[in-house]
Amino acid sequence: MTKTILTLCIAALISPIAIAADMAMPKDLPAYAADKPLPVPAIDQRTLDNGLTVWVVPRAGMPRVDYVLAFKGAGLAADEAATPGFASTLAGLLTEGTAKRDSKAIAEQAQSLGGSVGAFANNDGLVVSADALASNADAMLGLLAEVVRGANFPEQEIALAKANALQGLKAAEAQPGFRAERAILKAVYGEHPYARTQNTEEGIQAITRDTLVAAYQQRLRPERALLVVTGRIDAETGFKLAQQHLGDWKVEGKAAPATTAAASTAKPSFVHLERVGSVQSAVRVGRPAVPATDADYIPLRVASTILGGGFSSRLMQNLREDKGYTYGAYLGYRAQVAGGALIAGADVRNEVTGAALGEFFGEYKRIGAEAVSARELDMNKRYIAGGYLISNQLQGAVAGTLANNWLVGLPPEFLGEFVPKVRAVDAAQVQAIGKKYFAPEQQSIVVVGDNAVIEQLKAYGDFAAAK
Amino acid sequence: MPASPVRPRLPLLVGLVLSASLSAADGDRFEVPVAVKTLDNGLTVVVSPDHSAPVVGVSVVYKVGMRSEPKNRTGFAHLFEHLMFEGTPNAPEGTFDKVITGGGGRNNGSTRPDFTNYIEIAPVSALEPILWLEADRMTTLDFNEKTLKNQQDVVKEEIRVNVKNQPYGGFMWIDIGQQAFSKWENNHDGYGSFVDLESAKLDDVRAFHRDYYGPNNAVLSLAGDVTPEQGFALAEKYFGQIAKRETPKRPDVSEPLNTAEKRITQSDALAQVPAVAVGYKTADRGSKDQAPMAVLAEVLAGGDASRLYQNLVKGKAMALNIDSLFGLTGPFEYDGPTLLTLFALYKPNVKVDDVLAEMDAQIAEIVKNGVSDAELARVKTAMLADWNNSLESFLSRADTLAKYQALWGDAKIANQVPGWIQAVTSDDLKRVAGTYLTVANRTVIDRKPAAMLATDAEKQ
Repeated sequence: MTKTILTLCIAALISPIAIAADMAMPKDLPAYAADKPLPVPAIDQRTLDNGLTVWVVPRAGMPRVDYVLAFKGAGLAADEAATPGFASTLAGLLTEGTAKRDSKAIAEQAQSLGGSVGAFANNDGLVVSADALASNADAMLGLLAEVVRGANFPEQEIALAKANALQGLKAAEAQPGFRAERAILKAVYGEHPYARTQNTEEGIQAITRDTLVAAYQQRLRPERALLVVTGRIDAETGFKLAQQHLGDWKVEGKAAPATTAAASTAKPSFVHLERVGSVQSAVRVGRPAVPATDADYIPLRVASTILGGGFSSRLMQNLREDKGYTYGAYLGYRAQVAGGALIAGADVRNEVTGAALGEFFGEYKRIGAEAVSARELDMNKRYIAGGYLISNQLQGAVAGTLANNWLVGLPPEFLGEFVPKVRAVDAAQVQAIGKKYFAPEQQSIVVVGDNAVIEQLKAYGDFAAAK
Repeated sequence: MPASPVRPRLPLLVGLVLSASLSAADGDRFEVPVAVKTLDNGLTVVVSPDHSAPVVGVSVVYKVGMRSEPKNRTGFAHLFEHLMFEGTPNAPEGTFDKVITGGGGRNNGSTRPDFTNYIEIAPVSALEPILWLEADRMTTLDFNEKTLKNQQDVVKEEIRVNVKNQPYGGFMWIDIGQQAFSKWENNHDGYGSFVDLESAKLDDVRAFHRDYYGPNNAVLSLAGDVTPEQGFALAEKYFGQIAKRETPKRPDVSEPLNTAEKRITQSDALAQVPAVAVGYKTADRGSKDQAPMAVLAEVLAGGDASRLYQNLVKGKAMALNIDSLFGLTGPFEYDGPTLLTLFALYKPNVKVDDVLAEMDAQIAEIVKNGVSDAELARVKTAMLADWNNSLESFLSRADTLAKYQALWGDAKIANQVPGWIQAVTSDDLKRVAGTYLTVANRTVIDRKPAAMLATDAEKQ
């Protein structure tokens, strides 16, 4: 039954899309001009005596300086299973008090410098960012160093953060996307910590000042950190400020162990989460993939872009522009230091929930079954290269990309090598990747929606109800 | 000639600019070059060169939005915006996105009460194809039933995903305006009713394009790796042949401040945490009160150092967040009645009246005592930095300049706003807080989880 539906869907959709991808261009449309040389930021690198890595990328543009201080292995994957999302609370509380300043004084100091200081956690790290008007570069790095080195976790701030996190969790639970994300991560990563990025009521209640201080001392350490400095500042000044504010920073104790590797395959699971009265189904399709350092990383980026990486992607063109099922259909390749995931999704009206899954899998099969045309491949490679250029125009984005590459294990040179490597991918590689990663039978499915849609799901798997 | 909705800038603001002096270091000012030229067909072209990256941002702003849509066609301006991406006789459906994607670019569009913008950012090698595509869809569209039906479906899914299937359903920007304003142009649902959206006909699409999408009702703005000479020549080459078209006179949408408070309680079937939105009718575009209102919003709700954050979220710990909105745009990007809306999620054990009382107390404090020099200085420094940041991306730079040209008739306003902000005094804040942030001028929506409302009813 499943096979028949899939086959029919594929037959129905191949021709129009295949033609669209290779459609003739209007005769008067001017050609693209020749590409200008790819700008690659020059990165001045130094390591301080305490092990802190410092990269400075001077820029001539905005009168602003950006700092990103990233701590490896200090993120959500380092959290205990009983307290998922703990690293986010830890990050949030860094700016809520130091020996010198209370929460309000920190916020006022940042405001008076024309900027901000804040922290967040992702799977692989804890990242503290700050920016300021260029004339306040020194004072802002001073503030960043103050919160990183001297956060003192006042009890009343912890209590407020926990109370607000509990309410925030309640508010988030009302959003279909939040529940869908939790369920698809569980399906993809199983018991691996990458499955646990959202906090829970019990986990929030279990947080104490002692657990925060212990994690702070273990995770925030100079030898596990990279400071990226970008903006209107020269390299020597950048290094001088780094030495001045962070050079004599020493910590005691042992660092946390590295994240264990996540599996790159998983037995698919099928989950329906009831949402009474929902007028749409939040559909998610996912499987584990490979880390950012894997040989498949670049071709997988290209293949996932073709499938679901932008407005001209196959999923968007099919489910939105052809069928009108959804406002948007997408696929993301999330590459991390110890694993990866391919997660696709769309929010569709109830009556086309099953049909939408049929379209997802039709496209998934096609990318492994047929070679992508030269024109569609070229369009997507240029789209990725354009994304690099557009992002590179923004100094904060350059700092963020460098820090994230470092967190997932990629070297500084990778920033400049990325586009040439993408340009080298050919159609055979894309098809091989398609076969390897996008076979429908390898995909887990999560649907958050009304119980009335369950009937439509039967052709796609044996769906279990869950919370 | 069609009537222009753009009124000239008030002379008073020019005075403010000249007298402004900045306390942040002079090197922290970020002025962008602005060159403007109007073609014979009325298309205004703005170019802001910056060769620091081989990238260009493009924005085409049409001076039409939700306020101008037909009365029995709520949501039509937005539906029409979608149809602008659905093909022309020269470039069939799909061409537009594929050409921009293949050029390495990104594109989008959005509909607001006073304008509709179409934006692209791309490697500069894609500039000419992008301009060809924009000129092509300004000339005419491929009016056909299939794409109309498809986009009616897509827009309905957009409304489901953003409104009907979401807790709070955007009440802080949709419902609040419906309650606060008295004229249809200002108080109808710009997303539209499903009935009106489904009723849209191809003739409506044709008429809207003819009436509002001519070159004389548009601004083309380029920012990035292009010189004014190149930009003007390319604009002439691709847009110069499009004939100007008669544009309907814009209705008088003005309305006075409200004179009696309006309080509404709404039930939310999806939300788990209550929320409140407080909308105040704000100063007109070009009024001497406009910049003080922007500063006041920042003093009250601009980030972690703001008064309401420090008192409602920290201090009294009543709310989870505090945000401020100027309608659907920014404090300088509207041209008709607009709300300054304060929005917060509040804790279920807190009474909404207590939240409002705390807001009122903070506003009363400003009306009485104004704001200290130190506080005013750091708020202004933060606003200067925010202003610079808003112009960093070539896309938002092009778009900001296009919007100022369309709404104010002068893109160079972008370099004057920091001076206006700098000139705001504590007395200005006292005055505007006492004029606009009054109980009589406010509309309050208390949005409660359905279960909570039911429990409240039982208690009574």
